[in-house]
Amino acid sequence: MTCGKPIDFEALVAWWLGEAPAGDAIEEHLLACAHCSGRLEWLAALSHGVRAVVREGRVSMVVSAPFVESMRRAGLRLREYRLDPGGSVDCTIRADDDAVVSRLRAPLAGVRRLDVVRAQDAGPEERIADVPFDAAAGEVLLVPSAAWLKTMPAFTTRTRLVAVDEAGETQVGEYTFVHSPG
Amino acid sequence: MPQDDRPAVLDDGALARRVAAAGASPDAAAEAELCRRLGRRIRLYGLRHLCDRHAAADLVQQVLLLTLESLRAGKVREPERIASFVLGACRMTVLEMRRGVRRREALLEAWGDRAQAFEAPEPIVLDPLRLAGCLEALPERERSVVMLSFFADKAADEVGAELALSGGNVRVIRHRALSRLRDCMGAGEAIR
Repeated sequence: MTCGKPIDFEALVAWWLGEAPAGDAIEEHLLACAHCSGRLEWLAALSHGVRAVVREGRVSMVVSAPFVESMRRAGLRLREYRLDPGGSVDCTIRADDDAVVSRLRAPLAGVRRLDVVRAQDAGPEERIADVPFDAAAGEVLLVPSAAWLKTMPAFTTRTRLVAVDEAGETQVGEYTFVHSPG
Repeated sequence: MPQDDRPAVLDDGALARRVAAAGASPDAAAEAELCRRLGRRIRLYGLRHLCDRHAAADLVQQVLLLTLESLRAGKVREPERIASFVLGACRMTVLEMRRGVRRREALLEAWGDRAQAFEAPEPIVLDPLRLAGCLEALPERERSVVMLSFFADKAADEVGAELALSGGNVRVIRHRALSRLRDCMGAGEAIR
């Protein structure tokens, strides 16, 4: 199964995501070509798989506020916590929660790169580099894997937000999550 | 040496010609092979334009019915360009589906039990545990771009607006992320 003129993969992705106009050439090619439609089938499977992974809470994410709205629109039941710098919260996840969203507020104006550094109980620190954040809203949204969280006994996580630039690192907030099973 | 005319080795155009030549006495083997090939592709067209698995499955049924009906009745002027005919049928049917017109019932009535023989093509399903592991292994920004693109169905410019990046930058990050995912999922060169 080969194709003499395969559609460029980026063009295929752009068409799939609706970025490219639905032109005759690409659509007729896809309906005629087993090779290119096979590549498209992988993209369709990825789309379906990503939705399933998010729905089933199999992956941890740092997300945007509109993404949280997308989760809500998709019918996911969300439990939310909001913390200011220095804040602490008793938190949990129940069987009927699909996801937990932690909104960490921090002064983020002028921050160009932000890292999340966290440690569970007395364990080592783990760093997530260059996370997305909303500087104007002064907010970072963490969504831990719900599937993982539902298996966890009581534990405490300390999370730090660290701004990074050429001059070095500046901590802009520290937050404590005291988790107990739902 | 006799020419191999088994449906599986014929190209789409030759298959369509064979279905058309059979007319009112359907060539079941040729029709089944043509439907098997076109069904998968029509389903993908439907997913892209209707954004719903059930609606895409419905589109497959309607377009295959219309295509076979037209081939059998000699209404397809160039069977060798069957993809062009199917594209037109897909577009018309999607428009009708959006307007709520139910063409399938009329076609089912016209063609009876024969029309119900199409099996919905089985989509590829990625191993969810493996995919979750591959997504977890992506750098955070790449994961965000993938999630916004494929969960929230956002185009590059919209993703860029949410992540304070340009659309071009999002496309570069997305390209890198998809490349890592293909490698991690073992999809390899065939997908590139």
